[in-house]
Amino acid sequence: MYQFEYQTPKSAADVVAALKADEDAKVVAGGMTLIPTLKQRLAMPTTLIDLRSVPELKGVREEGGTIVVGAMTTHAEVWADPTVKSKFPALSYLAGKIGDAQVRNRGTIGGSIANADPAADYPAAVLALNATIVTDSREIAADDMFTGLFETALNEGEIITEVRFPIAKRAGYAKFRHPASRYAIVGVMVAETDSGVRVGVTGAGPNAFRVPEMEQALASNFSPDAVANIKVPADDLNSDIHASAEYRAHLVTVMAKRAVEAAMG
Amino acid sequence: MALTLNMTVNGKARKVTVESNALLSDVLRVNLGLTGTHVGCDTSQCGACTVHVDGVSVKSCTMLAAQADGATITTIEGLAAPDGTLHPMQAAFKEHHGLQCGFCTPGMVMSAVDLARCEPNASEEQIREWLEGNICRCTGYHNIVKAVKTGLTDMQSGGKVAAE
Amino acid sequence: MKLTPPARSAVHHPHAHDSALKHATGAARYIDDMAEPRGCLHTALVTSRWAHARLTGIDASRALELPGVHAVVTAADIPGENDVGAIVPGEPLLAEGVVEYVGHPVAAVAARDLETARRAAALVEVTAEPLTPVLDLREAVEKAHYVLPPSEFLRGKPGPALADAPHRIRGEIMVGGQDHFYLETQAALALPQEDQDMLVHSGTQHPTEVQHLVARLLGVDMNAVTVEVRRMGGAFGGKESQATIIAGIAAVLARVTGRPVKCRLDRDTDMMVTGKRHDFLLTWDVGVDDDGRVQAVEMTLAARCGWSVDLSPGVVSRALSHADNAYFYPHVKLTGLFCKTNTQSNTAFRGFGGPQGMMAAEAMMDQIARTLNLDPLEVRRRNFYGPEGRNLTPYHQPVEHFRLPEMLDEVLASSDYAARRKAVDAFNAKGGVLRKGLAVSPVKFGVSFNKPEMNQAGALLHVYTDGSVSLNHGGTEMGQGLFTKVAQVVAAVFGLDLDRIRPTATTTGKVPNTSPTAASSGTDLNGMAARIAAETIRDRMADVAAEHLGAEKSAVVFERNMVRAGNKSVPFGELAELCHVARVSLSSTGFYRTPKIHFDRTTNRGRPFFYFAHGLAVSEVAIDTLTGEWKPLRTDILHDVGASLNPAVDKGQIEGGFVQGLGWLTMEELVWDKDGVLKTHAPSTYKIPTARDVPRDLRVDLLADAPNEEATVFRSKAVGEPPFMLAISVWLALRDAVASCGPAGHVPKLDAPATPERILMAVQAAKDTA
Repeated sequence: MYQFEYQTPKSAADVVAALKADEDAKVVAGGMTLIPTLKQRLAMPTTLIDLRSVPELKGVREEGGTIVVGAMTTHAEVWADPTVKSKFPALSYLAGKIGDAQVRNRGTIGGSIANADPAADYPAAVLALNATIVTDSREIAADDMFTGLFETALNEGEIITEVRFPIAKRAGYAKFRHPASRYAIVGVMVAETDSGVRVGVTGAGPNAFRVPEMEQALASNFSPDAVANIKVPADDLNSDIHASAEYRAHLVTVMAKRAVEAAMG
Repeated sequence: MALTLNMTVNGKARKVTVESNALLSDVLRVNLGLTGTHVGCDTSQCGACTVHVDGVSVKSCTMLAAQADGATITTIEGLAAPDGTLHPMQAAFKEHHGLQCGFCTPGMVMSAVDLARCEPNASEEQIREWLEGNICRCTGYHNIVKAVKTGLTDMQSGGKVAAE
Repeated sequence: MKLTPPARSAVHHPHAHDSALKHATGAARYIDDMAEPRGCLHTALVTSRWAHARLTGIDASRALELPGVHAVVTAADIPGENDVGAIVPGEPLLAEGVVEYVGHPVAAVAARDLETARRAAALVEVTAEPLTPVLDLREAVEKAHYVLPPSEFLRGKPGPALADAPHRIRGEIMVGGQDHFYLETQAALALPQEDQDMLVHSGTQHPTEVQHLVARLLGVDMNAVTVEVRRMGGAFGGKESQATIIAGIAAVLARVTGRPVKCRLDRDTDMMVTGKRHDFLLTWDVGVDDDGRVQAVEMTLAARCGWSVDLSPGVVSRALSHADNAYFYPHVKLTGLFCKTNTQSNTAFRGFGGPQGMMAAEAMMDQIARTLNLDPLEVRRRNFYGPEGRNLTPYHQPVEHFRLPEMLDEVLASSDYAARRKAVDAFNAKGGVLRKGLAVSPVKFGVSFNKPEMNQAGALLHVYTDGSVSLNHGGTEMGQGLFTKVAQVVAAVFGLDLDRIRPTATTTGKVPNTSPTAASSGTDLNGMAARIAAETIRDRMADVAAEHLGAEKSAVVFERNMVRAGNKSVPFGELAELCHVARVSLSSTGFYRTPKIHFDRTTNRGRPFFYFAHGLAVSEVAIDTLTGEWKPLRTDILHDVGASLNPAVDKGQIEGGFVQGLGWLTMEELVWDKDGVLKTHAPSTYKIPTARDVPRDLRVDLLADAPNEEATVFRSKAVGEPPFMLAISVWLALRDAVASCGPAGHVPKLDAPATPERILMAVQAAKDTA
């Protein structure tokens, strides 16, 4: 690991100021991705800005018809949160399936979304719920957030402060996980809100995406059968040592079906 | 960049001066001599390096020591009572043959103790799921699961009738 | 408070592992936990990024400029011979002239800390001209690209018998390799001593081999090198020959720098550099009658040896000698191919080729049954070894004391097999998304090293004047409980409580010229050597006791920490003191060599095995035909460990071996890319079974009242490797579930490991056949 300065600012404003002051600085949340990257010398930040002492980034609250999750809330906290459990059980379930117990104790929702690993779980929920990503300077709509492999709409020096999930009428998540890393080879969240049905898919492609054909089918018939014969083309999907693109395409349909089943309870 | 960190480790206030990029596992093992925390994979998969930071289990090979500044840390060496009486979870691993080569055991025990915090009455299925972050290559897990089950029960009964 | 078990139950009793308390409290020390001596240096390796290339230059100048770097060594810096070949010479420690795989060590750095060593290693510039590698096992088979010429086991006239058989069936499967993934990575700490001596703490199953090769590397006599190991965090065969690489590098750097040097590989480096289980391409041509009875077989077992010979002769020999498993082949020819590929040099791994050989037998039995529409269980039973006329193995050793027929009846009853078979068939007949599979597989495993001369062991025992006992032997402790079992043997001989016996670290300074702790033979060999040493001392003590107690020597009994004769007795410790006063030695070596065994390696005939260990498993699984995911539902195991020395330790070996085998056959997959880079070099990509991946319902029984017919230590049987192969039942159960998706007579095409994607493809193929 290269040498770096280490800072623990006490407010989001201080974080942003610190980032502005040093363009080679990096933010660390839980560090579940960043620390391995540093250990492999794949990144060499001059300064590490730890968000752990910023109180406004933590916690879950309900606001109108929305569940607001602070960026530094760990997966374990999302999983165990009573509000999430009662109002958005699919998100609690999703959080409880990330990595393993120790990783869930450190990893955070903000870190996961900002990192935009193609196999991370949260992006499926962000898309399916049409969540709003709130940063220090603006709000980003779910559909604008994930732009490519490890790429998001976030600007340099911009940090996520919270994520707002509209409460769904029903939602379900199904994941075919990589057996070793437990990342999603394919993860699908299906959610029905007042504004319709959305299907968010993670793991399958270079970044999370929606499946409009499934959404339309589910809007008129919210049942597993509605998506059973809808296939996404394998051409644009990931193919690697863990699964071929064809296998992933097949799994998107199966997981969508299972997500609908889960949403129906 | 050298940092001076203050931590409470196994009940004692400790002050260490380390580089900002020092890993918690290295500081525990090298600076503090607590070699019961093992490093098995260096990549936060195997769980041998599991310790408790502020009461929750973490993989110390994937945490900077700096991130634990001000924290309360418990390692495997801090579980037993000062008089040597084993923590119920340690006693259960010994009693139920939940170990062979022993390299994963400290991490397994630390992880299992954290399960008691989240699910004190965990079912066998919950135990198995919880232990996904800890790899054992020797036992086949059968006796580990038995040990955790017993350990959870004995923790609730407020410590175990010493098996030793 | 639990009472210490009385001494009379020192053996055949479930004592805890001798280090259990230390394991549970973190007090057990592994090499990386030892206090580092002053000035200790740390190591990083420079490895090849080419699968095959001619080295043109190694420039370490930039690395040497880095503050804190003490040495960078290459082949040219090795004081003695640059060779760590375990069986045949010609395997350099550091590459010379050519590199033969991605990960091949080219140079090693010693620096004041690990971070500096790693940075320096990255600064060493290696240049090379790439050569064409052979990466694929099939390609090596087609090109006859071998590290050694083929080996053959032959009995009878398989050619004509095949031609005459009513049915002739040909088949093949690929069986993947396996990384050991011992939790403690390879490690060594080399400490230069006076003169040219070197003390090496090495995580090795074979201290003598490390001693021998370190001496060769340093150009000194073996008496200048001492190798010591207290315990390993798992080994499984991976620390037999491979440990010499790590110890060798540490020792060479220690010699060059004059400082203590520690070499601990991080996980990625360990997986990239060290050898693994051989993957095999198994093909067969079998002639059977209408009942599925084998008339004749020809099999080819093609092993991926990797870039060098290493232990492959033994591995392939054991594969060939287990390609019969439990079945009699009236006419048989087995051919073993030693394929060379530009990948890690494959090595010993629990079962040592036996599992791969057995997979050929079991896949073939499954294919015979399905092709002829017979019950696979019945086909197996019909082909079992039998009485004279049906009891000769392909290596001409008669199978004696064959326990499987009776064991099969027992496990079928205890597992409620017949009813469950019906239930599984009924479940599958409903044609749902989930399908179940049920299968039985036997294990017959030959115990002894295939090479007769390796079947010897030594022990060194001291009784001190307080009656405490110090035990040393050539076997190494890697978690398997060897130290516990051998201590039990000594406690039983002396009639002492187990805690009076102190097992001590294995060291070449105490017991010389040992064999590796391998081939499941640790307890058989070292237990017997320790027993002989203990009996020697006990015999001397009995003389003194007889005189002291005024009794005949034959009346003297050692039990419950006392020595008695008639109604008189003396505490064991007091007797030890009396022996000392009487100037009677309380120290002895013990030496044991396995009787009855012989093997001619030119004809591949003989009696390589002292006896056979047996086991049976009944496994039930469920597969999801939409995703290929599966679950192990239940496994019943009946295993033969003779008269178990320690039922708890033995059951632990059975459970652990079974799960490791289940990982090998269903989830652990090694993948190399087109350039020969191992892509699965960390547990995030290489799947090790976790607590969730194993059967919830696992019932393990030891065969009761079954002392070994051969005179082994307290009539026990070896247990390290045989249970590994019980997992074949799971792979067969998966095939059974897949087969239910196709028409009768469909033979699933399912290689190992049976990953979800492979299972799904096999399901699709079965459906397409229908």
